[in-house]
Amino acid sequence: MSDGLKMVVLLKQVPDTSSKAGVNPDGTVDRARAKKMLNPFDKYALQKALEVKRAVGGEVIAVTMGPPPAISVLSDALEYGADTGYLLTDRRLAASDTLSTAFALHKAIIYIGSDVDMVFTGLQTTDGDTAQTGPQIAERLDMPQITYCDRLEMKDGKALVRRVVEGGHQDLEIPLPALITVANSATPLEPKRFAAVYKVRELSRDKGAYDEKIKTVNLDDIDVDPAKTGLAGSPTVVGKTWKMGDIGGTCVMFQGGAPEHEVEQLVERLTTDERGIEELIQ
Amino acid sequence: MSDRIEYDVALVGASPSNLTLAYRMVELATGPLRIAVLEKAKEVGGHLLSGAVSNPRVLKKLFPDWDNSDFPLEGICKKSYLTIVGPTGWADVPQLVMPPHFDKRGYAILNISDMAAYIAGKIAEKAGEKEGVVVDFYPGFPARSILFDGDTVIGVKVDDTGDETADNLYAKVTVFGDKGFVSRDLVGKLNLRQNPQAWAVGVKEVWETKESHEGQVWHTAGYPLEKGHLGGGFIYGCKNNKLIVGMVMALDHENPNIRPPIALQNLKKNPVIQEMIKGGKLLKYGASVLPEGGYYSLPKKFAVSGAVLVGDALGTLDVKRFSGVDKAMESGYIAAEVITGALFKGDTSEAGLAGFQEKLMNSFVGKELYDSRYFKRTFQEHPELLNNVIPTLVNHVESGRGVITASVAYGLADPIGGLKLLGAKTMMDNPSEIGPTKYNEDRTHINKSYSSVPLEPAEDYDEDTIHTAADIVFYAHTHYGEENKHIDEFDSSVCGQCVEEYEGRDTPCVGDCTAEVHQILEKEGKRTHAMALENCVQCTTCEIVCPKTNLRVNAALHGYGPDFSGM
Repeated sequence: MSDGLKMVVLLKQVPDTSSKAGVNPDGTVDRARAKKMLNPFDKYALQKALEVKRAVGGEVIAVTMGPPPAISVLSDALEYGADTGYLLTDRRLAASDTLSTAFALHKAIIYIGSDVDMVFTGLQTTDGDTAQTGPQIAERLDMPQITYCDRLEMKDGKALVRRVVEGGHQDLEIPLPALITVANSATPLEPKRFAAVYKVRELSRDKGAYDEKIKTVNLDDIDVDPAKTGLAGSPTVVGKTWKMGDIGGTCVMFQGGAPEHEVEQLVERLTTDERGIEELIQ
Repeated sequence: MSDRIEYDVALVGASPSNLTLAYRMVELATGPLRIAVLEKAKEVGGHLLSGAVSNPRVLKKLFPDWDNSDFPLEGICKKSYLTIVGPTGWADVPQLVMPPHFDKRGYAILNISDMAAYIAGKIAEKAGEKEGVVVDFYPGFPARSILFDGDTVIGVKVDDTGDETADNLYAKVTVFGDKGFVSRDLVGKLNLRQNPQAWAVGVKEVWETKESHEGQVWHTAGYPLEKGHLGGGFIYGCKNNKLIVGMVMALDHENPNIRPPIALQNLKKNPVIQEMIKGGKLLKYGASVLPEGGYYSLPKKFAVSGAVLVGDALGTLDVKRFSGVDKAMESGYIAAEVITGALFKGDTSEAGLAGFQEKLMNSFVGKELYDSRYFKRTFQEHPELLNNVIPTLVNHVESGRGVITASVAYGLADPIGGLKLLGAKTMMDNPSEIGPTKYNEDRTHINKSYSSVPLEPAEDYDEDTIHTAADIVFYAHTHYGEENKHIDEFDSSVCGQCVEEYEGRDTPCVGDCTAEVHQILEKEGKRTHAMALENCVQCTTCEIVCPKTNLRVNAALHGYGPDFSGM
């Protein structure tokens, strides 16, 4: 383990959910106008990779797929402590669903090297919310996968991981290489350090060095048949989208008594009334 | 050594003064130049808050097309009022007798938060056009402490990994444009300020209203301030149906519990303001302190070896003219020229930077500060102004009289008092030399046993327009995460003792807090001081008023704190 581990972290730029910019009146998102951010779930994945690097040494490679401006999530990752980055960008990738995205990304990982030890992904994204891409990549790479991982420790070249499962957790020991989707109960991403940010500022002024650190690749570079990606490679059909509208409902106040009494009244109302909670939210 | 993080100029705080300085230095640059801008907010402008109705004289120099471009202008003052306010009364001082410095027509209505973001963008644009000119912004990275080599400032410490090479930023010149978070250590170490700074606290709300009041500017005197309390309200009508309502309150009043957010709510209960905001929506709340000492609080040196003070760190605000932003910007503008010259000559020693003080004092900044030098003292020498005159005017206005009638009534009832007022007016406007003014620290004016005599606020108001102090804090959008220990309580037993001394009432840190941070908790019959740090808007009022000098507010780390964008 003297050379340390080669770790890939998959990151995605998503619309900023705290910003109203780019939200059309019908509730759909205009991705070109929307403010962007790093998918919050991916921050746990990046942190996990950086923790492993700190513990046993190695290299953290940030990878993203998206339009050219998505390169900003890679320099962001470098500011957090990642070593290098790859931007996979190609017009032919537009409108990819999880099947074709996973296909393209698995090829990108193969392109990065057959010696990749670990692939980290977030649990899911805040835009698609499917949580499918990570597991699909693992299948394509024929790697064991650990989903919902919240703790990870390296021991004798193996990973001791803890998965979050309903009602508890599951401890596992896995050989490498492996793909790990990191749960949002894992350690939050640590703040950036000044020296790392400074280095990226300096790097951004040296075009040659910057292109060396953050490489941009297209489908031809990573040897992907365009028919398997983008709209053509995406069997997912969006049947219909609709705006949920206001939830509405009426508010019933239980007040005027001792707190214990008010709670009793609430519980009684919820449990004994035939319509129970239905009535409260109608 | 080669790994040292080095710049020509380090700017502490992305303030209007420092941003003007950076813009001007880039403009003047004829060769390579490296500037680092350290800013504690998550984004440039994120912790900036001001009124602000400002003379656009410096803005014009930076952006000649400021009023006809994408500059984030909130409006231009078309009508300017000075208004005497009571709980329900409201009377504008007629234009004819209004002191000329209250006339803000033609001035820019600014939100300096968005202005700062705009200038930062323009700096990046301009730097990009010049080979070798680098301006790096570091939002989320405040300077934590100053690096000295003897008495020479050699940079600032920005991180605390323990590795000096990674933590320290070295610069030939460090410019402090902060509100004291870091610059107070320079001022303290070199004993630069012989007269303490006198502070005021400002609280402000931004509203979206049903009707537009664009271009209208009111400055109010009287209610809800108590007798003897210097300060006032401000209401600025902006573009897009935005309305700013705020209050400034001096911190040198006897009352240990001035409760700025509540005072603002009480002002808003006045029926005239109610009419403006009823049916509207509160967008933002925030607070900040203002250095009001002026001429006599200026440090004895504006520059020392390796460092320059500008803006609020220096104390260029002119309280008589409500002129803060323009003077701060001018101080940056002039400092840029001096620093450019010093870097060119390779002499950034105290002597190399000394020209700044003379140039600034010969500019409109120095001249107007000198002219206003006795403004604050007038209220000390003529306590009747705040104890008697204004309260009497408020009483008259409350009973429906206009300002002129009220003044005449006042003069007739007390002709000798009327004559004294003329003396006060002369002292403010055309002062003869009466020697330097001595200020005592604001905290020393606080009187534990002060009994408050507030006027009752109006009872008839729209409840949707008024918020409790606890609710209003949400509108400052504060966010803190790990390592959120930005207020030091040096000795908890001292706070315990203070709480005991203030038995039956709130300590000044609690009573003057703008964001429900400081609290007194009662547990098993014992009262203790506690802090809800997650509420803090970084205004530093608590540190200023702490009777025991037992509190220190540090810059929030990692971009935490309030979000004042649009303020």
